[in-house]
Amino acid sequence: MFLVRGPIDRQMFGKPGGKLVPVWHEDDSEERYVLLDCFDQSIRRSGAVLIEAAGQLTLIGRDGRTVVQPATRTGNFVGDLEPGPVRRALGMVPELRSLLEIGTGKFRQSRLALIDGEQKTHARARFLTLRPETASSVSEEAEITLASVQGLRGYDKAYRALRKKLGAEVKDDGVASALYGGPVAYIAKPDIKMTGDEPAFQAASDIISAYITVARQNEPGIIADYDTEFLHDYRVALRKIRSVLSLFKGVYGDAETEMLKSEFSELMVPTGRMRDLDVYLLDQDHYFEMLPETLHSGLTKMFDLFSKERQAGLRAFTRRLRSSGYNKKILVLAARFADRDTLDPGPNAKLHATDYACALIWKRYRKVCKIASGIDDQTEDEEVHELRIHCKKLRYLMEFFAPLFPSGEIKGLIKPLKRLQDNLGLFNDYSVQQISLQAFLEDHPTSRSKDNLAIAQSIGALTAALHQRQLDERAKVVSNFTQFDSPEVRKKFRSLFHKKGK
Amino acid sequence: MKIVACYSNKGGVGKTATSVNLAYAIAQSGQRVLLCDLDPQGASSFYFRVKPSKKLTDERFFKDVERFTKAIRGSDFDNLDILPANMSFRDFDVFLSRMKNSRSRLKKALKAVDGDYDVVLLDCPPNISTLSENVFRSADRIVVPVIPTTLSERTFEQLLAFFDEHKLNRKKLLPFFSMVERRKSLHTQTMGRLRNRYKKLFLDSTIPYATDIEKMGIQRAPVLSYAGSRAAGRAYDEFWREIIKKLQKKV
Repeated sequence: MFLVRGPIDRQMFGKPGGKLVPVWHEDDSEERYVLLDCFDQSIRRSGAVLIEAAGQLTLIGRDGRTVVQPATRTGNFVGDLEPGPVRRALGMVPELRSLLEIGTGKFRQSRLALIDGEQKTHARARFLTLRPETASSVSEEAEITLASVQGLRGYDKAYRALRKKLGAEVKDDGVASALYGGPVAYIAKPDIKMTGDEPAFQAASDIISAYITVARQNEPGIIADYDTEFLHDYRVALRKIRSVLSLFKGVYGDAETEMLKSEFSELMVPTGRMRDLDVYLLDQDHYFEMLPETLHSGLTKMFDLFSKERQAGLRAFTRRLRSSGYNKKILVLAARFADRDTLDPGPNAKLHATDYACALIWKRYRKVCKIASGIDDQTEDEEVHELRIHCKKLRYLMEFFAPLFPSGEIKGLIKPLKRLQDNLGLFNDYSVQQISLQAFLEDHPTSRSKDNLAIAQSIGALTAALHQRQLDERAKVVSNFTQFDSPEVRKKFRSLFHKKGK
Repeated sequence: MKIVACYSNKGGVGKTATSVNLAYAIAQSGQRVLLCDLDPQGASSFYFRVKPSKKLTDERFFKDVERFTKAIRGSDFDNLDILPANMSFRDFDVFLSRMKNSRSRLKKALKAVDGDYDVVLLDCPPNISTLSENVFRSADRIVVPVIPTTLSERTFEQLLAFFDEHKLNRKKLLPFFSMVERRKSLHTQTMGRLRNRYKKLFLDSTIPYATDIEKMGIQRAPVLSYAGSRAAGRAYDEFWREIIKKLQKKV
């Protein structure tokens, strides 16, 4: 597969006096194409391009290899596509991410045959020309053509000559970068520039500012309700901001910190229940599997109620995101973290960022170890929850300050931590779900209706199943911590974050 | 891989038209086909606009795997390659048996390009010779066009006699009526008589005498590619389906 930028000069395929004559064949007229990708542009980041045009999905891979399948689908998730080569090749798209229209343009196809005096074809080429439409104009400069050359057995000379004329083969993400233009717009975990020499105040404010942007980028997607990841990312961004505020002690003045914390918390409040409902609804199949079929009718009713509640929640939240009150508030916060003049610095504001990072991470790491070492099979669940929260804080700190440490080192430490966190996360989820199902039951008393009785039976069985799962996860905590607490990990933590003389 | 020979011990019976259209139809159905033009007149190459290779005239050719595979030319149609040979055939049987032997260099060389050939179709020269006998032994089936006239009837009987004489398997033969003119009572009578005499030997499908087939010389392409929906095209379509069915059966 070859990539030609700009319009193709057809003259070059048949010079006068050459033995072979070029014959061009245009396929139909120019048609509109749509460039598809999910919000975080997973397809583009893998170097591929997904195009929908004329009822077909065409996926052009990093190496130019192209697969095609009908565009018919039941929804915009990869799982909604018909089984086929495109769907199989879209493994890079997260399951929960919806495909969106990223751009449009015009495309046309043409074919070239090089024929001899006997009208015999010696080589063929197919051209797919894509002209992306940009907001400003449709420029010919942005046009790209993908060409594939087909040789015929025994006519190697013409084949080689044709390939030579087309120049460079597609490599890396040539096609993607040509069609998308500009850098990837949305990155859920942006790289925040840090030198280590900046004061802690600047580091904290840079992180918060970046995550306000991330949160805001998700607003249109939440309103449009493309997929549940928009709300999830929005919440994660705000949670990270809150973590910075609570973990970076003394960077801002006490009163300022308290006020900021409460403002960001307030932004998150209305999203909590919606996220819980999203998780339930996404996990539906799983819940049905947990229970025997006799109890399914109650579950169906419960999920109907969940889905109605979510719709109402989304409507309310949309109103809020569009309200002038919300917009004013978040604009003010964004402006304050961009300018920083009005932020009140605290006693640690001027600390050297790297020193500050090391101190925070080391302290948190020690805390995790201390709690974990006291945990055995008899320990109260409360302690396990405590461990989970500290692990999370440790993880955030390490991720925030990752740019200050040799790349790879932090990743190597996060990996074993993540395993422990996944375990603790599930333990927590099962516990929270039991509580919230009980709460749901209290809101729908069995005396009211027959439906509620069915729901109550299902919830009863579900609670028992979730409890068992929680116990299973609980049983893994000790061994997972032991794995995390290996001598190598200990040594690495010490060498990275607790250097002698600092 | 199946080897199908197209043979007639009489000229001008539509043998090359049969080879060309059969090769094209099978290739269109998705099977990979190599059409070997063994007829010194090189007519099937002509229909596919492939020039006969001058270098292939000497008999060493069949021993030389590289020379053989290099001589193969892709036609303008998918799945269909041509061997525009024009040569002497002393070692042809060796060549055919190598083609079928999966461990032979020839077989491997053939495979290298685009996967194995499913069908190798031989457009044979019109005489009974050592070559013919080799072809009859190696081929899985021999397609024989017969014009329903008294003269053709006689040559067909000669072919049968040759088979018996050389202890060849008659069941490999797939004779069919070619250049049939329904208006001629001689044609219908001859067909009836032969079908009666050789029960189940003749194919059900027949190829009519048609201007569309004659036009192949001007079009330089298989009938199915330019007149697929017309009478001649439909006849070839039925014809190849019957041949493929026969190929799946053992003799």
